[in-house]
Amino acid sequence: MRWLWYLVREAYANLRTNRLTTVVAILTTAFTLACVGIFLLSYVNLRNAANWLQEDIKIIVYLDDAVSQEEVQTLRERLRTDRLVAALRYISKEEALGEFRVQFPTDFHLLEGLGENPLPASFVVTPAPDFRSPEAVARWAERIGGMAGVAKIDYNQEWIDALAEVVRYLELTAIAVGSILSAAAVTIIGNTIRLALFARREEVEILRLVGATGAFIRIPYLLEGAVLGGAGSALALGMLKAGFEVFRHQIGLVGRFHGFEELVSFFPLSVSAAFVAVGMGLGIVGSMISLLRVGERRR
Amino acid sequence: MFVPEAIIQLIHVSKSYDRRAALSDVTLDIAKGEFVLLMGASGAGKSTLLRLLIGEERPDQGQIFVQGKNVGRLKQAEVPYLRRKIGTVFQDFRLLPNKTVFENVSLPLIVQRASMADIRRKVIEALRAVGVEHKKDQFPNSLSAGERQRVCIARAIVNGPVVLLADEPTGNLDPERTAEIIELFKLINARGTTVVVATHDPHVMTLANRRALTLAQGTVVQGPG
Ligand SMILES: Nc1ncnc2c1ncn2[C@@H]1O[C@H](COP(=O)(O)OP(=O)(O)OP(=O)(O)O)[C@@H](O)[C@H]1O
Ligand SMILES: [Mg+2]
Repeated sequence: MRWLWYLVREAYANLRTNRLTTVVAILTTAFTLACVGIFLLSYVNLRNAANWLQEDIKIIVYLDDAVSQEEVQTLRERLRTDRLVAALRYISKEEALGEFRVQFPTDFHLLEGLGENPLPASFVVTPAPDFRSPEAVARWAERIGGMAGVAKIDYNQEWIDALAEVVRYLELTAIAVGSILSAAAVTIIGNTIRLALFARREEVEILRLVGATGAFIRIPYLLEGAVLGGAGSALALGMLKAGFEVFRHQIGLVGRFHGFEELVSFFPLSVSAAFVAVGMGLGIVGSMISLLRVGERRR
Repeated sequence: MFVPEAIIQLIHVSKSYDRRAALSDVTLDIAKGEFVLLMGASGAGKSTLLRLLIGEERPDQGQIFVQGKNVGRLKQAEVPYLRRKIGTVFQDFRLLPNKTVFENVSLPLIVQRASMADIRRKVIEALRAVGVEHKKDQFPNSLSAGERQRVCIARAIVNGPVVLLADEPTGNLDPERTAEIIELFKLINARGTTVVVATHDPHVMTLANRRALTLAQGTVVQGPG
């Protein structure tokens, strides 16, 4: 086991002798990966929000003001037996006005000025879980829209679609930014390893002379790369977490967004672990590239 | 007639650097257990020959055998295993300054993943054989040139190699130290290790008083007699 101890100690010695380079490499890797993390975190949260909105979708079937009591009854029966409808609530014109008064107390005088109640009666439909896709809702809305007494069907789909679009763009951006910045991290770590290799070229020469295999010579540098990448990504994760908590605290203070802070979430443990593992992987790749380059020059 | 087993054999070996021949058509045998001096002026090709033997360089032509293995045809991955059978000593010692004498000498064993107990036993044994056991915890920079060369020799023999190659091992030593080191090589040779010492110093040849192969401009001039 002496050899294992030797390899670990070599890697540690590499990190220690080039302390400044090590610190700089870890910091730059951390900032680089934190940038990737910001995109990833926004992406994950917005995607969650889009899914959550889609899950929480409510379809509002507005009724004509001239609708008769029988027509309301027929509609209610029709909707109650529909496969898509999981829950159904009727809101009369008066109830609509009442809700408006509660939600927008300062704007209520605007409606009072009109004299009569301009708000329509409506059915609020909660779709069954199997029918919450945008397509299913759209098809259903088309069918119901043609029925007698129905004025208009509204279900916030434009809003959800727009958000989904943003999520899609963010996904592409995250991939692009992630690739570029990952390449940057690989380069940073690769250069650090190259410096270490250069500083220890004599030692490498002696190891080769006494019969060390290529793998034995490479392992300390691969370990060093893994440590740099792992430490960088762990630090990035720490900075992200800190930034995230500050952000959450701040939006909690803004009254309008109150409650919103409960909806955003940080990476789950598995993703955090994967983030650090990817950082280590990038470090190992950087180290491999440097080892290959130095190896080729020797030939 | 008894033909001793050749442990090193070169058959029509040529090697050029940038079209300039460093060795041309060299054929020679070194028997198992022999002590051979490789003589020749600067640039004669002595170091080139030793580098060929440890797989550091490949011959352009000809064949090189070490213990029956065709060294010129070794795969890159096989070279480390060849080097574990060959001890090498250089004029410039090549010790690691940030490691103690003990650690320096244990390197050939560490790279073979020897056990801690094995390393301890063999390193102490090798250091004792070259007479610097008492310096085992010191760093190379605190040693004299003669002591450093002894440490270097200890590192070369710690593995129990079949062949010991030394390239100008006394180049940095005074005459007294030179004589001691040559005696040491003789001792190692007497225990069964084949020894090849490359030098341009005729004084070493007198001291060693063993078979000499002389190279001049890349060819053997004083035959394997
Ligand atoms: N790596 C190299 N690149 C180019 N030429 C080389 C190289 N190594 C050796 N040579 C040339 O090959 C020839 C033989 O060199 P070598 O080092 O084998 O001589 P030597 O007998 O060991 O000399 P010395 O006693 O000075 O060490 C010389 O002309 C030298 O310049
Ligand atoms: Mg030489």
